[in-house]
Amino acid sequence: MRGAWLIARSVLVEAVRRREVYAVVLVSLVLIGAVMTVDFFNIEGLSKFYREVALKIMSVATAFTVIVLAARQLPREFESRTIYPLLAKPVSRTSFLAGKLLGVMLAAAFCFLLFMGIFLVGSAYLHLKTQWALFGQYVYLQMLQMLVLATLAFWLSMVMNLDAAITLSCVFYVTSSVILSASTYIYDLVPQYAKALLLGAIYLLPQLDLFDLSEKAVHAEVWPPLPASVMGALTLYGIAFASVYFLISLRLFARKPL
Amino acid sequence: MSNLPVIEVENLVVEYGRGSTATRAVDGISFKVMPGECVGFIGANGAGKSTTIKTLLGFIFPRQGQVRVFGSPAGTVESRQRIGYLPEVALYYPFMKARELLELYGGLQGLGRAELKRRIPPLLEEVGLAGRGETLLKNFSKGMQQRLGIAQAIIAEPEALIFDELSSGLDPVGKFDLRQVLLKLKQAGRTIFFSSHELTEVESLCDRVIMIHKGRIVTEATVQELMKPLNEFQVVFQLPDGSPVPDSISRHKPERDGSNWRASIRDTAEYAAAVADLSQCGARIVSTSSNSRSLEDYFISLVRGTGGNA
Repeated sequence: MRGAWLIARSVLVEAVRRREVYAVVLVSLVLIGAVMTVDFFNIEGLSKFYREVALKIMSVATAFTVIVLAARQLPREFESRTIYPLLAKPVSRTSFLAGKLLGVMLAAAFCFLLFMGIFLVGSAYLHLKTQWALFGQYVYLQMLQMLVLATLAFWLSMVMNLDAAITLSCVFYVTSSVILSASTYIYDLVPQYAKALLLGAIYLLPQLDLFDLSEKAVHAEVWPPLPASVMGALTLYGIAFASVYFLISLRLFARKPL
Repeated sequence: MSNLPVIEVENLVVEYGRGSTATRAVDGISFKVMPGECVGFIGANGAGKSTTIKTLLGFIFPRQGQVRVFGSPAGTVESRQRIGYLPEVALYYPFMKARELLELYGGLQGLGRAELKRRIPPLLEEVGLAGRGETLLKNFSKGMQQRLGIAQAIIAEPEALIFDELSSGLDPVGKFDLRQVLLKLKQAGRTIFFSSHELTEVESLCDRVIMIHKGRIVTEATVQELMKPLNEFQVVFQLPDGSPVPDSISRHKPERDGSNWRASIRDTAEYAAAVADLSQCGARIVSTSSNSRSLEDYFISLVRGTGGNA
């Protein structure tokens, strides 16, 4: 366990010391700042527009950061040969991979924390009230979504090169909601075997939209927080996908000659 | 000290690739390294040295055979508990400071924070990196990284050290410093197993040498055993008319060169006896010379297929 923690800490140190995260935050800050200057809404319209755009930007930027960070963990270790002295120490491959995942999640939390800080400062500037319970749920589900994305990127990075793994993970993240809605539209129009395929795809692929409470957070005054049972179900749903992806990654990694 | 082997390799076969395209990198080698021994593992590029070492650490898996380290199967956490390893090319996280890196590796070997704080400064000094603890590794040269690699390998004072290409990337000063570190570790009774291209290093450090060529062990002997046949004495002499070649010379198959005879003798005692016999039978000794070959000459002749005696 200590081994995993030490490896996680090294991933976090990397994320904090490299400039990419700050570049992403800076770009997001500029975009969010630009939103705040829009003056063709009334006060209520502007606050909703600000919330909507800011939360979307933060969500997308964190997702991309997590995908890149997770996908490059193992290929970079191989490329720079840093994996050899590390795995020569008494640390199992399971602890190593678990540490990497924990590190990516800590880095995601760090990234999200920066964004939240910006968002809350912006909200305070616009005198917006924050529904803390719903906002907390939004953050929690975003982190759950990041866990699913990180484990997916881990898996893909094990079976394809780094660029392909990043591209495919990003494509999946962006098109995840499209896959679901497109499947819903065409379901009645396709033959039986295609229906089975569509259903299979819907059940086999994680529905990332389920983790997105940004719409509710935008209209927080009319939406109550989600009941605990729904949060519990979503937690199980996210952890189930993350566990499957992580176990596949682990199985591949355990058999991989270095 | 236990008499169980630190490293035990039995009929090890390692292949890269599968099926008809598989390349056999290691072909049925067996050897042991006992506690306190310093063993050099030498061979040309592609001979199978690094593959064997990677198998010892569980980085790659054997197709056949058994590899045990401290009695545990290679690759298990237990087998890595008591070893320090320096890879052939040592690169470390560029975003970390030297101290942080040693804390990471020491921590992975179970050292606590206080212990690490105590050990790191003298360790950095020992490997020639005093005062560099707070420098980011992206600012380290290749030689400095290699020195840091040595530090990470020995930070937990492991019982056995496995070094792949011992002095790769080090300048002459670095090589000298490394030799001092290794001599100190050897004197402290540590087991050392290393591959190297620097055969003078092997000669000066090792108790025993294992030579590998095309995946097979071609020689396994103590350094003294290996060096013994490498010394060669030559004696050129003229015999009085009608005198036979003394027995002590004729067994070395002397060659006639005009009026001179030329004999090559490997053993010092036999050489002394031959010279005495020649004097006794009234022979005129024209010249004597000794030709000491190095382990490097032996190795080159071996891998070029001319045999160790060439």
